[in-house]
Amino acid sequence: MDTMIKTENLSYEYSVTYEEKGKSITKKIVALDNINIEIEKGSFVAVLGHNGSGKSTLAKHINALVRPTSGTLWINGYDTKNDEFIWDIRQSAGMVFQNPDNQIVATIVEEDVAFGPENLGIEPDEIRRRVDNAIATVHMEDFKKSVPSKLSGGQKQRIAIAGVLAMQPECIVLDEPTAMLDPEGRKDVINTITRLNKEKGLTTVLITHYMDETVGADRIIVIDDGHIVMDGSPREVLVQVEKMKSFGLEVPQVTEIAYNLRKKGIDIPADILTPEEMVGAICRLKSAI
Amino acid sequence: MIRDITVGQYYASDSAIHRLDPRVKILGTMAFVVMLFIINDIYSYVFSILALALVIAVSKVPSSFIFRGIKSILFIIFLTAILNVITTKGTHILLQVGIIKVTLEGVYMAIKMVVRLIMLIIGSSLLTLTTTPIQLTDGIESLLKPFRKIGVPSAEIAMMMSIALRFVPTLLDETDKIMKAQQARGADFETGGLKQKAQSLVPVLVPLFVSAFRRADELATAMEARCYHGGNNRTRMNKMILKGCDYKASVIIVLYIVITVAIMIIW
Amino acid sequence: MSIEISHLTHLYNPGTAMERKALDDVNITINDGEFVAFIGHTGSGKSTLIQHLNALIKPTSGKILLDGEDINADKTKLKAIRQKVGLVFQYPEHQLFEMTVFKDVCYGPKNMGLSEEEVNAAAEKALNLVGLDQSFYDKSPFELSGGQKRRVAIAGILAMNPRVLVLDEPTAGVDPRGRDEILGAIDHMHKETGITVILVSHSMEDVAKYADRIVVMNNGHVALTGTPKEVFSHVSELEEMGLAAPQTSYVMKGLKDNGLNVPQDVYTVDEATDVLYELLKQVTK
Repeated sequence: MDTMIKTENLSYEYSVTYEEKGKSITKKIVALDNINIEIEKGSFVAVLGHNGSGKSTLAKHINALVRPTSGTLWINGYDTKNDEFIWDIRQSAGMVFQNPDNQIVATIVEEDVAFGPENLGIEPDEIRRRVDNAIATVHMEDFKKSVPSKLSGGQKQRIAIAGVLAMQPECIVLDEPTAMLDPEGRKDVINTITRLNKEKGLTTVLITHYMDETVGADRIIVIDDGHIVMDGSPREVLVQVEKMKSFGLEVPQVTEIAYNLRKKGIDIPADILTPEEMVGAICRLKSAI
Repeated sequence: MIRDITVGQYYASDSAIHRLDPRVKILGTMAFVVMLFIINDIYSYVFSILALALVIAVSKVPSSFIFRGIKSILFIIFLTAILNVITTKGTHILLQVGIIKVTLEGVYMAIKMVVRLIMLIIGSSLLTLTTTPIQLTDGIESLLKPFRKIGVPSAEIAMMMSIALRFVPTLLDETDKIMKAQQARGADFETGGLKQKAQSLVPVLVPLFVSAFRRADELATAMEARCYHGGNNRTRMNKMILKGCDYKASVIIVLYIVITVAIMIIW
Repeated sequence: MSIEISHLTHLYNPGTAMERKALDDVNITINDGEFVAFIGHTGSGKSTLIQHLNALIKPTSGKILLDGEDINADKTKLKAIRQKVGLVFQYPEHQLFEMTVFKDVCYGPKNMGLSEEEVNAAAEKALNLVGLDQSFYDKSPFELSGGQKRRVAIAGILAMNPRVLVLDEPTAGVDPRGRDEILGAIDHMHKETGITVILVSHSMEDVAKYADRIVVMNNGHVALTGTPKEVFSHVSELEEMGLAAPQTSYVMKGLKDNGLNVPQDVYTVDEATDVLYELLKQVTK
């Protein structure tokens, strides 16, 4: 398997200056500390962490919007510290941000999707083809000529995804794309990115603090205080109830119930993630009597 | 509600004027405005008024829409008239109040200026009434392109205009929300004197600016992430191509200029 | 303080081509001291409804009675009504504007025309209720964390000493820890002061944990109302409206479909653990 993203001892520090009791104080903050990860092409990786854990800083690194203060990060083999490759990096690893309103540039949906390819200097006919394709991929054909401000939050995020797709990237990084959406919009966006990953093999990095969005991922990386604290499949990560809670995260209700039952001495599997699995496990136990 | 304010006052219709290339319309409007400042005699005025009336008729924009724009600047028109009447020196004194003399020349001048001003407003609002904001920005970008060589950032200017247009509804919405939220905290925007009213706006303006800056910052990051690096090497999806009717319209504009100049020379 | 909403209808852009019925003959009574949750997807009318409660929007027809008094009857009483019914909007931190946290919280009570001492006392009390101590008073609200900013904004409403607190999705965009902090503070306040709380939320799990009663809105109508147990037993109706019941409801329904006799009105982790333990304890023995 080819590697899409690779980091070696990646660290990122910055300093903040603030005033307290008339004195100005400068404090050094370590947002990311010695991160070593490798993400394969075509995989769907969810990065979980509470606000301020450093997960958004990591996302911005992947798009070379932020560069490591020490260590190295390669995107598709390009070192992000090398200015020469910056446009190649941004083209191959597209990014979708949290606030749908603050990433739409144009006044018409299709013009916004065209924004990326236009910046890459692609020929008009080819842009038209890519824009039509990208809009069809996110099922927004009916809204091609619409004004973005008339769309729902979920639809706006799908347009933002189409805008990235039109640049024909190999990887898409989504930085809390559902934090400002209602449940319907959230489902809509998560379904879209899951489908893109499965159908097009697009490497997907989903940054979120909603654990329920990570159940469909191939791999979950949990970040806390700038460190990677957990890394594994959803079944390996989400069932560690105590540990997840200690990082300010949640687990599915059924996983927590299974955990509680096991504590009480019931022999139910620990790795239950969905209500269906829970029902199945209970029925099996009952029929064993 | 605040979000009902329409911006750009585009009047959707499918007239020959609406279908014209925005560049032709912009240049035509500019030619008309320049001519307005050159013409001086009654015949060329009449001819220009007729020409404008013809364009209005073809554009299918109802006259009520066209005169709505004038209503809002009635005060300026009135002021122009008064200033011209009382400041123009002349020999035929019609009326004298103290040191203020009203002369026949002054009245002529006032009429001329008012007609000129009204035609200017109608002419330019006709452009925005028949052209969508996006077409307008694209037209301006394309027209400014030749000046890029001497350092005019044409693509950047157009980008700024289109982003401004994109954020108008967002910020209007936001203003509405903030005003309501502060009203829920007992803010009163209606009563009180001018000073109190101005003060009551601080709790609206500060959050609005904070939010606008946050949005600008996030938008800049998002644009960078999508490989925006200024207008160099940037292509556009929609190319503007002049059609047959655009050439015809250009010929008509040139004809208008030639005839007006001819009228001025002959009379 | 009780609220009675009777035959409330609201039209947006009435008489134009864009006319839209946001609320259609809504009737709800909220008793003094209740913790009520309003649920519904975007466009169900819940945001329009709560803005009626303190007269920011006027009904097209129908009435809102506050302790029996029509809030739209007398325009001069608007300020008093907005003081009694405190409304916390979505992303309330976007309304902060003063140089310091304390001054910002003072804005509401000042508008109420209280004396300086009263204003200060009200602000202190409110900040205390949301769990922000004196060390925050002189800080700029703009340098706080997201969760802290939101608590300052909620304190700004509490400082007006409302009898009813209405919150429009107070946990939108915050992480689980911040959500527990905010909802915990609201719940604590409700128990401590007996204030009537109306919470608008998308999260069934949150609502199940805190509310005495749930009102489900759909297409401008009240679709369902009752205790969490009653409402969550209508799993299929909720799904038709684009809503979901807590995960535990699905487990109980699944077990019932498999012929196991379990109660259907279980919706918190602790309750489900107890029910399933009773069901399974013979297995272990």
